[in-house]
Amino acid sequence: MKIIYFFTILFGKLMVKLLKLAGRDAGNLPGLVLWTFNHNYLKAFKIDCPIIAVTGTNGKTSTTNFLNRIFAELPSKDGSGKVKVITNMQGNNLDTGIGSMLLKYCDMKGRVEADYLVLEVDESHVPVIFRQLPLETLVILNFFRDQLDRNGEVETLILKVKGFLETYEGNLILNADDPNVARLGTANPNNKKVHYYSVEKYEGATSELYEAGEGRFCPTCGETLVYDYYQYSHIGRFRCPGCGFGEITPEVQIKALDFEHSAFEIEGERYTAKHMGIYHLYNLSAVYLAAKLYNIDHGIVHRIFESFEVNNGRLEQFTLGGSSLLLNLAKNPVGANMTLRLLNQDKREKELLFVLNDNVADGLDVSWIWDINFSIFNGVTRVVTSGTRAYDIAIRIKCSGYDPDKITVLPDLDDAAAEIFRHEGVKYGIANYTAIQPTRAALKRYIESKGGKA
Amino acid sequence: MKTIKLLHMYPNVLDLYGDSGNVEVLKYRCAQRGIELQVFQHLMDKPDDIDFASMDIIYLGGGADYEQQLLADDLMGCKDRVKAAYDAGVFLLMICGGYQLLGQYYKDSNGEEIPGLGLFTYHTEASRNKRNRCIGNIVVETELMGEPYKVIGFENHGGQTTDVATPFGKVLCGNGNCWSSETEGYCEERVIATYLHGPLLSKNPGLADYVISKCLERQGEPSELAPLNDKLEQECREMLFGRLLNKQ
Repeated sequence: MKIIYFFTILFGKLMVKLLKLAGRDAGNLPGLVLWTFNHNYLKAFKIDCPIIAVTGTNGKTSTTNFLNRIFAELPSKDGSGKVKVITNMQGNNLDTGIGSMLLKYCDMKGRVEADYLVLEVDESHVPVIFRQLPLETLVILNFFRDQLDRNGEVETLILKVKGFLETYEGNLILNADDPNVARLGTANPNNKKVHYYSVEKYEGATSELYEAGEGRFCPTCGETLVYDYYQYSHIGRFRCPGCGFGEITPEVQIKALDFEHSAFEIEGERYTAKHMGIYHLYNLSAVYLAAKLYNIDHGIVHRIFESFEVNNGRLEQFTLGGSSLLLNLAKNPVGANMTLRLLNQDKREKELLFVLNDNVADGLDVSWIWDINFSIFNGVTRVVTSGTRAYDIAIRIKCSGYDPDKITVLPDLDDAAAEIFRHEGVKYGIANYTAIQPTRAALKRYIESKGGKA
Repeated sequence: MKTIKLLHMYPNVLDLYGDSGNVEVLKYRCAQRGIELQVFQHLMDKPDDIDFASMDIIYLGGGADYEQQLLADDLMGCKDRVKAAYDAGVFLLMICGGYQLLGQYYKDSNGEEIPGLGLFTYHTEASRNKRNRCIGNIVVETELMGEPYKVIGFENHGGQTTDVATPFGKVLCGNGNCWSSETEGYCEERVIATYLHGPLLSKNPGLADYVISKCLERQGEPSELAPLNDKLEQECREMLFGRLLNKQ
């Protein structure tokens, strides 16, 4: 072992210990310190087990959680119990976060004892992490515009991932219906392990682009892509009339969507799920394909699909008396549009809570809310807005034609939580990145103060 | 019913975050006064016979470098039509990329030079370092109908614009035309060309109404606009002025 690696691990472990003594969670800090000394510090870890990583703009945390739950159900090789899966479920998905996590699990030689590593990885960190750690399977979900002031343009991000894939030879699981993702299938023409997943056309699909989308032009020949239908945003059945890009037969496709019974079919078998949002079905399709590559027993997949919920602000249900609120994270227009699709599918009257922050991690620019499509806003009797940019979202909703007298602006979250529960009924909640955890906490506080259980 | 005709150029290509929201704000504020905002589109590589000079407003949003390159030829093909509209007093509302492309030229972060329409004397050069961008909240003080008016927006541009004869306003917070510059954008009575996203008109109802009343004035209609319920906008402005301008 190189001496430098020995000191890297020793020093890193010491930091984790000290932080623990100080009563602090390690977070990104130990990784950040090691990175400062050596940008290639991840090489100090020895990992022999398969690494499965998930990346893409939306759905990383949910997809990683599902994969983790499925892999964790596998029996260990000696049959004595379950396998050991290490995962970064909390969304610590930069190289420094992953480094800090590995420090906690490795021994003094940097060896990480596990059967599988299931990792959520930020799109822009895929190259830097997996030039140092051996990647066996990469799942790519989608590429949308997301925090342009922080991340830059979508194209730059895609090219970064593409650069990594040009020499990558492991399993590659790609969304067949996102041209930004599907184009990566040919990044390395020698890689034979490229697999595509899809979801059959659903009842909410449209013939015209309904929400702001990216990637209107063929990445190979520059021709305008044509679509048979759009599922949501620019996700749909596309092809290039010029060069044929997009003529893909997916290996796995979710079919026979039954929204009434929350069920669908894959490869002729019927599965049920907790939620049937179209973007969630794409995540499940990716999960199924990954499970298939690892020959995981269908019984496990059935069980996890039907019972597991991520919660943590991802389609999380809050109830108080006769009221229920479904809260969903939205970091970008596509995320918010997905929640509005669920809201519009719901035929009942309802109220909406929208919490918008403009902290650094959100992106300081909140103009993305103007790419949310509020033109359909079925049965919304009242809107409460909150967060550091509560007024911006209120103005945005007003200018879509919604009666401003039905909008209540309460920047303080506790006030907003009390207000949204003032009348009994059905409620939806949307909160952006730094708003989601404070919103959950405020809702819980209010529910508990009223004797409810949260 | 009164109508205002707006030509939205390249809505599919110049469509960074929220810029099409400006059209939504204009439409909303017109509708509240019983004015119909008719939106026409000029698309890239789709020749049309729209008479630009018959419009009331020509609108261009912002785009990424790649997209500005894509539409350069088409835009040059529209040069005479845009010029005729400008001469006829059509209101030009130009955001970010739209602002840059009306000038002499735009040299992007790859060093590629895109010719502008040359309507105005200014020109723009972007830093070769893609990370070197003016990004953040910005407040600019301009003058509308002889009264000072503070405009709130968000800037995100690599381009540095110089030789601006008549700027849109004075920078109170943010960068403006160049790093830490005193001025932002370009304007004439019927031209507003600016880096401000946000979208521009969303938090500046006075500016949106200025554009509308200038259009009515040109049509020979009474340009006085009935006030609207702008309570949310006013509270939003006060909150943001407090946050952005009162920093020590």
